[in-house]
Amino acid sequence: MSFVPSGLPMDNLSIYLKLGWRNLCLHPLRTILTAAALGIGIAALTFLSAMDDGWMQQIKTNFALTMTGHIQIHAEGFEDSRKLAQRITDPQAVMKAISNISGIQTMTRRVRVSGLASSAGANAGAFIYGVEPEAEQRLSRLATFISKGVWLPAGDQRAAVLGDGLADRLGIGIGDKLVLMASVPGGDIASEVFRVRGLIHSGVMDVDDMSVIVPLTTAQQWLGIGQAVTDIVIRADSFERVTPLAGNLKTALVGQGMEVLRWFDIDPMAQQWADFADAYTWVVLLIVIIVVLAEVLNTMLMSMHERVREFGLMSALGVTPAQVFSMVVWETVILVLIGGFSGFMIGGGLSLWYGEYGIDLSQFAIAFSFMYMDPVIHPLLQADSVLRILGAALFGAIIAGLIPAWKASRLEPASALREL
Amino acid sequence: MSDVLISASGLTRYYESGELKVAALDGVDLLIERGAYVVLAGRSGSGKTTLLNMLGGLDRPDSGSLVIAGQNLLTMSSAGRARFRLCHLGFVFQAYNLIRVLSARENVAYVLQLQGVKKKQRFQLADQWLARVGLQGFENRRPDQMSGGQQQRVAVARALATEPDLVLADEPTANLDSHTGESLMDLMRKLNEERCTTFVIASHDPAVIASARTLITMQDGKIAPVETL
Ligand SMILES: Nc1ncnc2c1ncn2[C@@H]1O[C@H](COP(=O)(O)OP(=O)(O)OP(=O)(O)O)[C@@H](O)[C@H]1O
Ligand SMILES: [Mg+2]
Repeated sequence: MSFVPSGLPMDNLSIYLKLGWRNLCLHPLRTILTAAALGIGIAALTFLSAMDDGWMQQIKTNFALTMTGHIQIHAEGFEDSRKLAQRITDPQAVMKAISNISGIQTMTRRVRVSGLASSAGANAGAFIYGVEPEAEQRLSRLATFISKGVWLPAGDQRAAVLGDGLADRLGIGIGDKLVLMASVPGGDIASEVFRVRGLIHSGVMDVDDMSVIVPLTTAQQWLGIGQAVTDIVIRADSFERVTPLAGNLKTALVGQGMEVLRWFDIDPMAQQWADFADAYTWVVLLIVIIVVLAEVLNTMLMSMHERVREFGLMSALGVTPAQVFSMVVWETVILVLIGGFSGFMIGGGLSLWYGEYGIDLSQFAIAFSFMYMDPVIHPLLQADSVLRILGAALFGAIIAGLIPAWKASRLEPASALREL
Repeated sequence: MSDVLISASGLTRYYESGELKVAALDGVDLLIERGAYVVLAGRSGSGKTTLLNMLGGLDRPDSGSLVIAGQNLLTMSSAGRARFRLCHLGFVFQAYNLIRVLSARENVAYVLQLQGVKKKQRFQLADQWLARVGLQGFENRRPDQMSGGQQQRVAVARALATEPDLVLADEPTANLDSHTGESLMDLMRKLNEERCTTFVIASHDPAVIASARTLITMQDGKIAPVETL
């Protein structure tokens, strides 16, 4: 008598793959066209997504490092109050306490107050930053935006660098006198005289129209706060480590009356752009997947209709409806894997290539720097984006395979056999 | 041997074509013993294919009962009937019997694989059966590289390779020239005698009818009295 059928052993996978592959080979042109459509879709998606990720990464980095830094440590409550009353009185001790934490590339101290800037003929409100001239250059991009004159020269205690917009409003230039006024702890108003050494143009309004940068030690004396600072600003080793690093810093500083804020806690704008761009990418992804799905579905339905009799025959041979179902799904999966994989290789390859050499868009957009963008984009293959695309393609494929598979498995063998 | 393999009673199957309700099978009673070699004859439209499909569990009757090899086919799920076919039945149809993307050897081995036979053994068995139906040297041919008669032989090899209780053949010679048809019938008859496999063959080919050990003639969905030759 007969052998006992042993369910669905691994061995059966090979026949599904063999049948799927050969059936696809029966119509090479159709298979190639479908796979190519799929491949182009996936390649475009992969590349666009990498470009988007690279771009967003760049915007976020530029945004964070223009002024804010990756992470800031303040005295508890300073972010809300912006008052000198909330200051870090012994920054040295805090910096020592966190110096062993890994992931910190560099850190610097700042004093931040808002006050009034005056020239011989005009006044304007200003954000005044007292910075460490040397260390600041390693941390933020401020020094790179010098458009006229120089960055705070070492040892020049009266030097000031200000935004070119603010300089215009005050009607001053390099070498001119600048008086800064701010209220000091206790309620008095103190003023100090500086000389303009440099102008910056960053393309960011807050910086260009409002900022004045002076040496930290001068600011501390002027404001009468001794060694105290308002911010300890940290640059992380890499962008991805910002959040874990902030967590470690919080743990290290717990109970010391400090607040630890990430760049997007301080100014969520760039992150919101990125989230928006991300949502937009999802929409594109969805559209591409739907198109691909329709294409694959069409091919599979066509191929299934041609084989109604063969499905009837298989059923007569003892292939169960579940096995017919798997067979068609596998065939779809093979088709999608061929197209998807080649598309992914092309898109991924292009992303890596341009990630290395960059895509120069400077001829298309001069206004780029305004949006924290560099004119050269470096696509970035990020694991989560890649997995999202591949996952969505596979998901689409399986959905596209399920419909013909379900139809094939539901065929009545007797009527299927009467076809043709 | 007087062991009953198939016992059917009152098998009825209606088809609706428009307003008209046609009884393709109209109360068929049937008793077939193990080892029988039955030919179902009858004019076109008399219900031969419908009955054969019923026996193969490919179609369900509207009423009646059907027990094959001790199992009630009418209470099985479609997956259950598929497994029943795999273990107990072999089929030979009029044409297009083979999976066209598989070679002769693979076509035969496929059903063995479904039964869980290991790769080496199923290819050996497939080659043996192909040799037995006279197709040595054709193992690697795809269906479109073989003649109609050769394809039918592959189908016979496949039907028998799983050592079924019952082989159902629907017009197996209809697409063959008379000489090829006769040699196919000789083959089936020989296998019936050697292996005691039960055959039920639907055909209106005189050569097939001539080879019958039991002839059942159908007319308008009913069976004319059984005559044993
Ligand atoms: N799917 C169907 N839909 C409607 N009527 C059908 C269907 N299948 C069979 N019939 C009808 O049932 C009757 C029996 O058909 P069946 O195919 O069993 O005859 P047959 O004896 O095999 O004929 P042939 O020798 O032409 O193959 C015929 O009247 C046919 O028209
Ligand atoms: Mg028929």
